Amino acid sequence: MIEFDDVALRYGDGPEILRNLTFKIAPGSFHFLTGPSGAGKTSLLKLLLLSLKPTRGHINMFGRNTGRLSQDQLLDMRRHIGIVFQEFRLLDHLTTFENVALPLRVQGQKESDYSENVAELLTWVGLGDRMHAHPPLLSGGEKQRAAIARAVIAKPDILLADEPTGNVDPDLSTRLLHLFAQLNRMGTTVIIATHERSLLEDFPTPRMILHEGELTIE
Amino acid sequence: MSSDQTFVDYGEDEPRARRTTHIRLHRATPIVPQNSVAGRTLMLLIAIMTFLSCITLGGVILVQKSAIAWSSDVGREVTIQIRPIDGQDMDSNLRASKSIAEAIPGVGNVRVLSAEESGKLLEPWLGAGLDLTVLDIPRMIAVELSDPREFDADQLAENLSTIKGASLDTHSAWRQQLNAMSGTMVLTGVLVLLLIIVATILAVVFATRGTMASNRTIVDVLHFIGASNAFIAGEFQDRFLNLGLRGGAAGGLGAIVFFIIVGTVSTNYLPSEAGSQLSAFFGRFSLGWDGLLLLILVVPIIAGLTALTSRMTVRRFLTQIS
Repeated sequence: MIEFDDVALRYGDGPEILRNLTFKIAPGSFHFLTGPSGAGKTSLLKLLLLSLKPTRGHINMFGRNTGRLSQDQLLDMRRHIGIVFQEFRLLDHLTTFENVALPLRVQGQKESDYSENVAELLTWVGLGDRMHAHPPLLSGGEKQRAAIARAVIAKPDILLADEPTGNVDPDLSTRLLHLFAQLNRMGTTVIIATHERSLLEDFPTPRMILHEGELTIE
Repeated sequence: MSSDQTFVDYGEDEPRARRTTHIRLHRATPIVPQNSVAGRTLMLLIAIMTFLSCITLGGVILVQKSAIAWSSDVGREVTIQIRPIDGQDMDSNLRASKSIAEAIPGVGNVRVLSAEESGKLLEPWLGAGLDLTVLDIPRMIAVELSDPREFDADQLAENLSTIKGASLDTHSAWRQQLNAMSGTMVLTGVLVLLLIIVATILAVVFATRGTMASNRTIVDVLHFIGASNAFIAGEFQDRFLNLGLRGGAAGGLGAIVFFIIVGTVSTNYLPSEAGSQLSAFFGRFSLGWDGLLLLILVVPIIAGLTALTSRMTVRRFLTQIS
């Protein structure tokens, strides 16, 4: 599903912050991406999200070389990828319900078709009574849960999450991880960037460890 | 994953989750915020531009209509002038000229203006109260045409050549000047309209760029969740179409009210001299239904132009940042 071949990334004329990345991620697998701050976890997630192009090497996703895709093809491929940003990136003028439903709205689905699923998911992540609230009125943890709900609502083939449990309590953290695990059991490939040792210990899955721009998989 | 399966296995949370899934459907909030300071400013600008466009177009319509009416009036009448010449009997020449004119096909009523009436025609230049009997004033014969297409001016001029001092004035010089003046005014109006449209386009381009910059987060999020450039451009186009329609409607309505007020004032409240001068230029300030329809058409045209311009600007912006 995902194949990196000698991929490197640099910003402008700076040094390569990611280099010699060669790995494969099988469909339906579950990986933690870990490493010290500044190791390049977020940059690697951006490469996986196709929002950055590698300065060297090739990335194949869904059997296609992403370097040869047009802008529209890249955007179309991105619909199969869910992302949870560290800084949430919710739209303040939309309600929580509308934020979570945004990927479905972009796909052209009608509200009457998706409203029940969105409401169920919001309820499950503990935002059932906050679905008509706007993000500025949500706590950090609530924003985090809304961002996760938005990432998974369209049932993506790949789910990327950047520190998805950084702002929630341990109980909800475990529940969210179970949601990710459940999506994974349904066929979604999950890659979670995290610092939290407890998560890594609770979920014994392959770990992608970034150190000084280079990756090892354990 | 099939799309019809329940999203998550709620396990023990099932009853609690199902209890709260009843939600009220409502009109979706536009993805691009509708109300902002920049939006209100642009709407005001579009209202002003639409008002100016409608005023210009209305002025052009009034001048055009008046010019057509003038030309038609002037074209339905010619004048025979009999200059006094020593040894010629004026009354005899007037009668002969009248007979010649009446014999020409397409001629309707022929009326010899009395000496008093001829004298009055000079009042604008010589002033009132002068005794004109001491002057040899040319006499005039007004020839109304029943059918201007059948009337042969050359034939009448040739027939009048047998009468000394008689000449025919078809007012062609007047009509040419009139056509030239109205044509110039229409051309000027069209140029002003074009300038207003260009200024509107430029304002929308700048406003769109500003809106894109201030809504960059929205654009990024939409890109990250897989929205195509066409979808994003459509969202911004909807916003600007909305602004264009609201601003355009306000400007168009203002212009129609303006013409109604000016028409009422010029008809009922201006002194008769000023009113008659105004009506000489602009008729009765009546646009008519066709003129009103053209004015109303300006509103969707400006709104459509605003939406199209914003869409093209957004597409260019998205291509640049991709």
